[in-house]
Parts: sequence; C-alpha cells; structure tokens
Amino acid sequence: MKKINIRFKVNGRQADLNIAPNKRLLDVLRDDLGLTGTKEGCDIGECGACTVVLNGRAVHSCLILAAQANGAEIITVEGLTQNGELHPLQKNFLEHGAVQCGFCIPGMLLSSYALLKENPHPREDDIKEAIAGNLCRCTGYKQIIQAVEAAANENNE
Amino acid sequence: MIPEIGYIRPRNLREALEALGENRETIRVIAGGTDIIPGFHINSRRFRDIRTLVDISGLPDLTFVDLENDGLHIGGAVTFTDIVKNPIIREEYPLLAQAAFRVGSVQIRNRATIAGNFVNNAPCADSVPPLLVYDAVIKIQSTRSEKTLPLEDFLLKPYKTQLQPDEIVSEIVLPPLKKEYRGEFYKLGRRRSVAISRITLAVLVKLQDRTIEDIRIASGAVTPIGRRFRELEDLAKGETAEVDFLKELSVKLGEEILKITGLRWSSAYKLPVVQQMFYLLLRRVCNR
Ligand code: FES
Ligand code: FES
Repeated sequence: MKKINIRFKVNGRQADLNIAPNKRLLDVLRDDLGLTGTKEGCDIGECGACTVVLNGRAVHSCLILAAQANGAEIITVEGLTQNGELHPLQKNFLEHGAVQCGFCIPGMLLSSYALLKENPHPREDDIKEAIAGNLCRCTGYKQIIQAVEAAANENNE
Repeated sequence: MIPEIGYIRPRNLREALEALGENRETIRVIAGGTDIIPGFHINSRRFRDIRTLVDISGLPDLTFVDLENDGLHIGGAVTFTDIVKNPIIREEYPLLAQAAFRVGSVQIRNRATIAGNFVNNAPCADSVPPLLVYDAVIKIQSTRSEKTLPLEDFLLKPYKTQLQPDEIVSEIVLPPLKKEYRGEFYKLGRRRSVAISRITLAVLVKLQDRTIEDIRIASGAVTPIGRRFRELEDLAKGETAEVDFLKELSVKLGEEILKITGLRWSSAYKLPVVQQMFYLLLRRVCNR
C-alpha cells in the first residue's frame, strides 16, 4: 500500500507523518504519536471514547481516516492541561467525583470542551445533548453533568 | 480493520469526478465516513470491492448553502451540524433542521453529510421524509453528464438508487415554499438519542380556512425506503380538517404501510404508533 504524507497540528504542535492510507486518526494519535489518552472502545461511532476536537468540533477519531485530518488542528485530552495546570473541566470532573474507571473521561472531557467553546453558558439539556454520544459504563452521568455545569459557572465568573 | 486502500484528496469537484470516472469499479467516495468506516469494520458486502477512496469531505464546491430564486441549494457534503445551525433552513425548512438534529450524536452530526445520508438509501435515513415533503430535487454530476431529478425518483429500493459509480450528488435543491405551509416531523427510535430510527414521519399541510388545500405525507424506516403517499394526499385534498377526517386519514396511513410491508413481528406495536402519532401531528399542524 502506497504511503502518504500528512501533517496536522495536535495540541499546538505540528506533526509530520508518512502513513498508510487505511490508518484512522485514532491509530495515528495512539500508535504513531503516543497520545494514548484517546481511547478505543467500539470502533464504530457508538461509544465516544475516541472523541477528539478537530477544527473546533467534537468528532470520532475512530471514524476519520488520518489522511482526512490533513491540515487540521486537533486537540486531545493531553492538550487540555496548560503549563502543568489542569483545565477547569478536569478539575471539576475530579471534584465532583465524575471519574470512576476513567475510560470514558477523555471523550467526555473533549465533548464538554467543544460545547463550552461554542456555548459558554449551556443549559442542562445542552450538556446532555453534547455528551449523548459518550457512553459511561460506570454510569456516572449525573456527576459528569454537574462537573460540566460547575466548569461553565467558573467560566462566567 | 480497514482494508488496504488508496486515498485521493481532490482539490475540487472536477478532480473528484475525474478520479471517479477513471476507476469506476473499485473507487468510492468518502465524506463523513460515518457509514463507510463502520461498514469496513463489520466487513460489509456493500464496501468489499473498494480499493480507493476519494475524499470529498469539506470540499468548498460541495459545502455551500445558497438561497436562490428557484429555492435553497444545499451542497451534498454539507454536514448535519451545519444544517442544524443554518438560519435559513431552521426558518424556511424546519422539518429538515429537526430531522438533522435527531441524527446520531454531536460527533456524528459534525461529520455526516446530507447526501451521504441518502446515497445508500438505507430505510432509516432521517433526512429523507423531510426532503420528500419539501419536494427536494437533487443534482447529480459526472464527467459525462449533469442531471437533476426529484429525490423521490432517485431512491429505487432499499440500498439501491439511481446513482452510477462515477457520479456524485453535488447538491440538493429545496423549492421555495409558501409561508402558509405548516409541518411536523416525528422520529421514533429505541432510545431517546443516538438512535437508529424505527419510524419517521413528515407532513406538510396548507389550509385554506379549514379546508386542506395541499398536503404532503412521507415516511421512513417503517417502510422499506423513504416514500411519499400520493394516493392519501389526493384523497385528503379538498377535505375539511376536522377530527373525524384526520382520524380516518391516520388509520388509512397505517393500512397503506401495512399493505407495503406486509405483516411483521413489529407491526403490532408500530402500526398503532404510526396511526396515533400521525393523528397527533395532523392535529398539531391543523390547529396552529
Ligand atoms: S471508539 Fe470511536 S466511538 Fe467508540
Ligand atoms: S468512568 Fe468508567 S466508563 Fe465512565
């Protein structure tokens, strides 16, 4: 299979890669770039564990070919922390006990991150809609919603 | 696993069509990928022959929404998120915006495209019933030809359309709609969100006082493909929109659907739901 060259920005850093065209964005993030915070759950767009933010929008990295992300700006969970400081969403997830096994959390964080970027004052329904595509097997939805609300309130202060 | 494939990223529609024209048998378009990539994973027969993908996602030639004299032109690769957010669609063609909002999850809507929703002619394509009641016309292009035809004619049978391997659905045109039309959209899935449709209904009504001057009815998921109900529409035109007649029409819709699908295990619950919901939709549009 002929390899192709792609480049995109991940968490502010330029990545130049030579990859097989059948690699998904998820594979490249995890295997080539070592960004294993992005999780692989179902592989078919059902669970949201692989969610990243691509050009400002939450997307499934398991449903995007890496080649399709050429030229894009991507944020993964590793990019939320700034200068060693946790993102307000991350802090509130911890404070509200929203993290149990943790497997769904990177996806939850990025879905919430994309929501707050677009809508800094979400209603509860907006939050529910934003994370409807993120499954939590530990079923801590309530705490997750509370954490997002709390982070949004901090935003407003 | 995604099979070994080649990947082409055209710079415009022309290049995409040329690539498709050269290798008709083994080349396929990818846009949002929300159908094709899970399809690869389950080794779906529909995608087994593919050797090369032509990526049209985000192509400016296919991602416009333009209001013109002959209606609203929506590029084939416009995503559902962009449809949900578009002020003209929300205002003038609200059933399409509502249906778009019920597609998958945020992540799916951010990638999945409008033409991608119906080019495979899956019965559960949510955008189809609204597009049908809006009398959508689609434009199909290849290096050989360019044609427009009603979406209704394009959809042949489950997973079969008129699309040829070297063609792309470049745009969807929604003709102008008189302000007097009122509409409703209904979707039933097995759960509240991120659900595959079991039943979708769309209805548009134009009343003159209490008389039904025009009515358009379409269904999806509950019928083998999304379709209009012309006979019922003709029967309803000129009738008075009062309770008894609306009930009669709803019962008839259920009977029509049963005729099309035959009795199935799910008929026992779907039929009453279709009839009851259609009646409620009619009540809502006619009493507004
Ligand atoms: S792994 Fe991508 S949605 Fe489940
Ligand atoms: S915390 Fe375990 S899956 Fe969500």
